[in-house]
Amino acid sequence: MKTASKIYTAIIFVFLFAPIAVLLVFSFNEGKSLSVFTGFSLKWYRELLRDTDTLQALKNTIILAFSATAISTVMGTAAAVGINRLRSRWYKAAMNTVTNIPMTNPDIITGISLMLMFVFVGRLFGASTSLNFWTMLIAHVTFCLPYVILQVLPKLQQMDKSLPEAAMDLGCTPLKAFLKVELPEIMPGIVTGAIMAFTLSLDDFVISYFTAGNGFTTLPIRIYGMTKKTVTPKMYALATIIFFVTLTLLLLNNVVDNDGVKKEKKETGKVKRVAMIVLAVIIALIGSVGIFAGRKETVTLNVYNWGEYISDGSEGTFDTIREFEKWYEETYGVKMVVNYDTYTSNEDMYNKISSGAVSYDVIIPSDYMIARMADEGMLEELDFDNIPNYSNIDENFRGLYYDKDNRYSVPYAYGIIGIIYNANVVDETDTGGWDLMWNEKYSGDILQFNNSRDTFGTAMYKLGLDVNSTDKEVWETARAELLTQRPLCYGQVMDEIFNLMESGEASIGAYYAGDYFTMADNQAGDVDLQFYYPERTNFYIDAMCIPKGSQNKELAEIFINYMLSEEPAIANAEYTYYASPNRIVYENETYLEDMGEDVIEVLYPEIENFSELYNTYAYRNLDTDMLDYINTLWETVKIN
Amino acid sequence: MRKKHSGRLAITQYSVWSFLFVVVPLIFIAYYAFTDNNFSFTTENITRFFTATSNLTEDDGTVREVRTYILIFMRSLKLAAISTAISLLLGYPIAYIMARASEKAQKTMMTLVMIPMWMNFLIRTYAWMTILQDTGIINGIIGKLGIGPLHMIGTETAVVIGMVYDYFPYMILPLYSIMAKMDTRLFEAARDLGCNSFGVLRRVIFPLSLPGVISGVTMVLIPSISTFYISQKLGNGKFFLIGDAIEGQYVANNLHFAAAIAFILMVILLVCMALVKYFTAKHVYGGE
Repeated sequence: MKTASKIYTAIIFVFLFAPIAVLLVFSFNEGKSLSVFTGFSLKWYRELLRDTDTLQALKNTIILAFSATAISTVMGTAAAVGINRLRSRWYKAAMNTVTNIPMTNPDIITGISLMLMFVFVGRLFGASTSLNFWTMLIAHVTFCLPYVILQVLPKLQQMDKSLPEAAMDLGCTPLKAFLKVELPEIMPGIVTGAIMAFTLSLDDFVISYFTAGNGFTTLPIRIYGMTKKTVTPKMYALATIIFFVTLTLLLLNNVVDNDGVKKEKKETGKVKRVAMIVLAVIIALIGSVGIFAGRKETVTLNVYNWGEYISDGSEGTFDTIREFEKWYEETYGVKMVVNYDTYTSNEDMYNKISSGAVSYDVIIPSDYMIARMADEGMLEELDFDNIPNYSNIDENFRGLYYDKDNRYSVPYAYGIIGIIYNANVVDETDTGGWDLMWNEKYSGDILQFNNSRDTFGTAMYKLGLDVNSTDKEVWETARAELLTQRPLCYGQVMDEIFNLMESGEASIGAYYAGDYFTMADNQAGDVDLQFYYPERTNFYIDAMCIPKGSQNKELAEIFINYMLSEEPAIANAEYTYYASPNRIVYENETYLEDMGEDVIEVLYPEIENFSELYNTYAYRNLDTDMLDYINTLWETVKIN
Repeated sequence: MRKKHSGRLAITQYSVWSFLFVVVPLIFIAYYAFTDNNFSFTTENITRFFTATSNLTEDDGTVREVRTYILIFMRSLKLAAISTAISLLLGYPIAYIMARASEKAQKTMMTLVMIPMWMNFLIRTYAWMTILQDTGIINGIIGKLGIGPLHMIGTETAVVIGMVYDYFPYMILPLYSIMAKMDTRLFEAARDLGCNSFGVLRRVIFPLSLPGVISGVTMVLIPSISTFYISQKLGNGKFFLIGDAIEGQYVANNLHFAAAIAFILMVILLVCMALVKYFTAKHVYGGE
């Protein structure tokens, strides 16, 4: 029996720690891949220590988690005691139901509903932005509370009710009876509840995302922002460090605790613990006030961009944001700070800005979203006198459909979708068109996109249909084509395509030209990734815009102009691997040399015909009814 | 008098907080669920959930008409129920072992159960992809032994593994904390009265641990039902669950329908929870 339970315990812990072992190993990977180990290196640890934004995010996360835990533990314990003492059945049932609600609500709904409410209240008080550290803290306390209550309440119910009464009969005040009798009894529940609250707060992404204001980024938000491209082993390195630090601290704490076994010592331990919690709250509050107070002294520029979409100083690259801050101070003699936040999709960005929850000075949406935001009056007209470097943008990238009169946007990068395949698996003769993604020979090896527009796009380009059609029959035809492809697919993925293609797990997939090079750089030894453009395909442009409500439009224009100047423009093009619409980038000798002829050929095909191809094949903004129709149709594909 | 007073304060602060940050946001959800894009009243979003249909192609090629969202909900419920059952079956013995271990071992084990959860959720899921892939670690190991390859990623198994893994501690902890408090003399008494080990488990341990079982089941079932991340990463995006549907509607800027799905999901779950509570309460107190 004893051995059986030991073996069982061992198996469970192997299960719990298997993924931890994986990330530990891959944090030492020389390459960028999370599934192909190319050699031992400490590179990602060095990268991590240099990455001040990630370390700041880590600090924010810890401050938030400590504050939320302390508050929710105290409130939750009191609430559990209160609920337990309630005489009214009706009130008790109501409180139990309310406690269950945050747990029964999907995170995304809790997040959205809190955001809607904060925004509503913010508007009532006429605030320009309604989200900040405090809204996030409220949200965290709210979703942590039920976990504390549900840990403490069963303990109270388990306890002999006559105990506190006996204590009071013996002369204790109710408070003393609670502290001396009830509290020690329910302490294990409180500790478990607090640990759960801390864990939940530390790891929450969805709710934080919706309730986070400008410039307070937590670690999960930062990591999710990276999934536009791919998570790097840098984050594994961070996880490994967190793992060893917490493991050491907690085990040490256990050892110390167990050495001083005597009861009295335990009592003082408890006092110490309470004191620690109080101290943590104070530190957290001072820290958070400091964060905001410190920022108000200087000029601030709020930038909202895709994750992994700017050269950030990693691996010895140009640190665009820091360099801009330096440059600005040198040029204007005024200290300026950039708040740089990231989003994961155009729609997320749109939802957040249109709700009025946050306010930014510069955003970088894609073409169709620019069209939509311009239509809805959400963008400022740019003053091009402040953006003289706009002359570097070629005619081919001006006057495109989303901004015909060049009023709202300055192009940042563009991309074209092509097909990536593993030449060790796929026959050269089968390549060339979209057919490859429907070829039964490669059943189980094909990757499809995991969003409605791009998925339908593959079928529509294949069949020569108009991707911007408003004729529902056209979309039905595309749906039928997609259904024939379903059984052949390995899966529907977005950023996961990097690891799947690099490791040879899948062999065929459509993605952006620039990303193909990232994959080819990291491919496993037995994988040979190749790339081609099919006959018709998607073109997209991401461009810099200033949303209405910007607090500092001129500074935003100075930033946009800076982004167009030589050094940052080249650094960003090299970092993202995407094509640049900026002449001083694609005509620069060093850039051309750094990238190599093969890469340039793929990234900049037929650049002289760009505007024509672009206006023919790019996705347009469709009206909301049509978007709803397409999304619903896509759901009916997905359930098959 | 003072007792009543302090009890009232304890409950009042929580009532106020819950009203402001739980109930009021719910009113916002209900408001969105029952309005259209122009914020005029409609029940269309709710009826759409129950009536929308589409064609489903079965494995054998036959096509049948199904109610889209009902199907999605049933599939989510199925996966979540399987994951919860597995978590309970795996978690119950380990919680018992923990509760009966020495005090030092208990603390260490509890620490070890929680620590993996302090690594980021996304990163853990990525690590599972590396483990379960066709070219992944498990297949690498069993391939050397001459077995396999075993196709796991993108299957129900992988999604269930992900769900069990991610919410496992939320099953173990409530079970453990209630078992640690149990009076072991009751087990001896039951044995003296003629119970075998299974009898002790069924008649004594299990009924006493019921509140922990309920918290554990709640804390695993609910996040598993509404997750969208695990199905996307470990299911290769092949499993379209109710969480994916809500997220998809949000991304498509269709907040009203997203709110309607969430509203229905919440009502169903709350009713289920209430029923479970009602029947277990009867069982526990009826047995005493």
